[in-house]
Amino acid sequence: MANAGGIPGPEQKPEALNPNLDEIEEEEEEDDDVVEEEDDDDLEEDDDAAQPQRKSRVDRPKIENLFRRIRNGPVPLRVHDVIVKGNTKTKDCLIEAELDAIRNATTMQEIIQAANIINYKLRELECFDSVEITLDSGPPELPGTSNVIIQVVETKTPLSGQIGTYTKGEAKSSTVEGSLKYKNGFGYGDLWDASLAYGFDRSAEVSAGVYLPRFKGLVTPMTARVFLQSQDWLKFSSYKEQSLGLSLGLFSIRHHDLVYNLAWRTLTDPSHMSSNTVRRQLGHDFLSSLKYTFKFDKRNSPLRPTRGYAFVSTTQIGGLAPDSRCLRFLRQEFDLRFAVPFGFYRTALNFGISSGVVLPIGRDFLRMSTSLPERFFLGGNLSPICSLGGPSALWGFKTRGLGPAEPRRQVRGDSSDENADASERDFLGGDLAVSAFADLSFDLPLRWFREKGIHGHLFACAGNVAKLTENEYRNFSLPKFLQSTRSSVGAGIVFPTNLFRLEVNYCRILKKSSHDHGKNGIQISLSAPL
Amino acid sequence: MEQVNEREDFTLVTRKPYFGLPTACPICLPVYIYLKFARLPFHLAFNSTYPDSDIIPYVESGTYVACNNENGGVIECLKKDGIVDLDNGYQSVPEWISMKALISSWLEEALIYELWVGSDGNSVRKIYYPDLAWPIGKVLFLQQVRTVKQQLGITKENSDRREEEIYNRASIAYRALSTRLGEESFLFENRPSSVDAILLAHVLVTLHALPVSCLTNCTLSVYIGSLRSI
Repeated sequence: MANAGGIPGPEQKPEALNPNLDEIEEEEEEDDDVVEEEDDDDLEEDDDAAQPQRKSRVDRPKIENLFRRIRNGPVPLRVHDVIVKGNTKTKDCLIEAELDAIRNATTMQEIIQAANIINYKLRELECFDSVEITLDSGPPELPGTSNVIIQVVETKTPLSGQIGTYTKGEAKSSTVEGSLKYKNGFGYGDLWDASLAYGFDRSAEVSAGVYLPRFKGLVTPMTARVFLQSQDWLKFSSYKEQSLGLSLGLFSIRHHDLVYNLAWRTLTDPSHMSSNTVRRQLGHDFLSSLKYTFKFDKRNSPLRPTRGYAFVSTTQIGGLAPDSRCLRFLRQEFDLRFAVPFGFYRTALNFGISSGVVLPIGRDFLRMSTSLPERFFLGGNLSPICSLGGPSALWGFKTRGLGPAEPRRQVRGDSSDENADASERDFLGGDLAVSAFADLSFDLPLRWFREKGIHGHLFACAGNVAKLTENEYRNFSLPKFLQSTRSSVGAGIVFPTNLFRLEVNYCRILKKSSHDHGKNGIQISLSAPL
Repeated sequence: MEQVNEREDFTLVTRKPYFGLPTACPICLPVYIYLKFARLPFHLAFNSTYPDSDIIPYVESGTYVACNNENGGVIECLKKDGIVDLDNGYQSVPEWISMKALISSWLEEALIYELWVGSDGNSVRKIYYPDLAWPIGKVLFLQQVRTVKQQLGITKENSDRREEEIYNRASIAYRALSTRLGEESFLFENRPSSVDAILLAHVLVTLHALPVSCLTNCTLSVYIGSLRSI
């Protein structure tokens, strides 16, 4: 799901009571006798700026008593009414959909916590410049009740532009994106955007979409996106990929994400130099697939994790259409990793293992071939630390730089064929991929580096890709797979920023196949967390 | 040639078979027949997901590939690369050249017109789009119809006139070929050449792939009858 800038991220979610109340409580504990500091003592927002001191002196004993009661235990209080003010364009139903928790609250503590959550959720809609929630006393005839007043100020500038890094359902990797957004066009918290994106995997995309926080009463937001995407793999596999399609984010809560993709995909080879296998795959495909992702990330940072663990499982099923001629496949990826702190110089050991398999669906599926774009490719200027979500990155190897490969077409020229470059090969990827890595990160001695977050790391990784379809599974064996596993080690310096993780590494290849594109030397990797 | 003979087996990649033909595509069938005339052993493979490709048909052997969109076509590539040449000695015969030009222009135009514009399109859907999902097949079909009309210079205003022109030229071509062929099996010197392969492919597709209604409604049928002896 797109996590556009401006929407409060998970780290900003309210976990405690309203900070104003915390400050007041701390003041009470620190200095009960102080009467001059009165501006922060209000539980309600006081609009009467002319007489703040007198009113505060009158209310102060009451508030002190209130906080003593809050500290000691639950204070029974119910919500009598919730009044929403300030929404001229935004539909009431959008705001009221967030109010269940506060309506059902039975104590002061629950009301305040629910108010915090409502505040966060309403700000998350990006429709309001400000959201203020005030607790007022309920009607005198109903003691123990309170009225909640939600005052919103709708945004005066619905149109905005921004640049950032994102991950969307249809993207295979992170992208740098510039977008124009129009907020709350129809008053349903709808967020419309048009964007241009460039991905780290040499992809470019033009897309337009809408984000609906509350669609027909559904609990989770829905997104719909129309995209035209192109990926250039000419240099590595002699084909270009273009996709025109629609992506629907059906379901997205904390750990679960379900996306439906409908796309017309075309593979072409403008160079006319592709290998036999790639040439046979050129053409059009109709893709109708569901992709389910379960993600559990308890690491303390996606850019420099020093503690925690993460697990991602991605399942994609293609062929969900009445027309049997669409692409049918099943793709499964796993990714498990841990970060263990050592307790000095912020040293931590990150290690993990990723695996993936893709198979066509149908009778005699092992005799069929899998579509090239669905296969697994290892290598590239990505860091395994950031690429959470399946086997893809391997230090020291170039993009799509290892695995099954086939010679490209040779054109007969005037000179003899012996002069032709016989090393030009197309990397074809595989149906099965496994990769593992270990990374020891540590602070550098200089304080300036530590302040900037620049740190060093030592790493080792291994990975392999194998073909199983077109009856190649008969030649597959685990010992052979392990024996042909590629591996590399190295060291480098990491420059983390808010958006990227830049690594300058020295890599040494320990084991590779004769046709692999990997070499010893300095390598720069640029990745954004997935 | 020795180097060529040491290569791996040849594979001809065409569009899928239909209507009882080894490949129903009028661009692929001449290459198939040419290789059969040349008695060159080859495997036949199919690509059914790239109907708008101009590289199909192509012949491959190891890393060697002769594509349709290069150097005048697959047959010319095979001749130029010394793999197979049935046109040896004909290149300087004016009649041979004019027959080839006649078939490659007027008859090919008539066949393309009948397949994409003159008929209901069912034949081409079976030839080019059988394995593509309906939305893709439909869009590509409409795109190709538009391209063919542009190629043949057909507009709403001149469609009738162009149709008559195309049929008239085809009639003239059939008459000339019928006269040239007579009772012989091949057009020149009683041995096959690329012209025979192209003509035979054209006739087979016309007889088998076009709907019967088109054959009975146009004058082509008069001359196709005389070519049935082939």
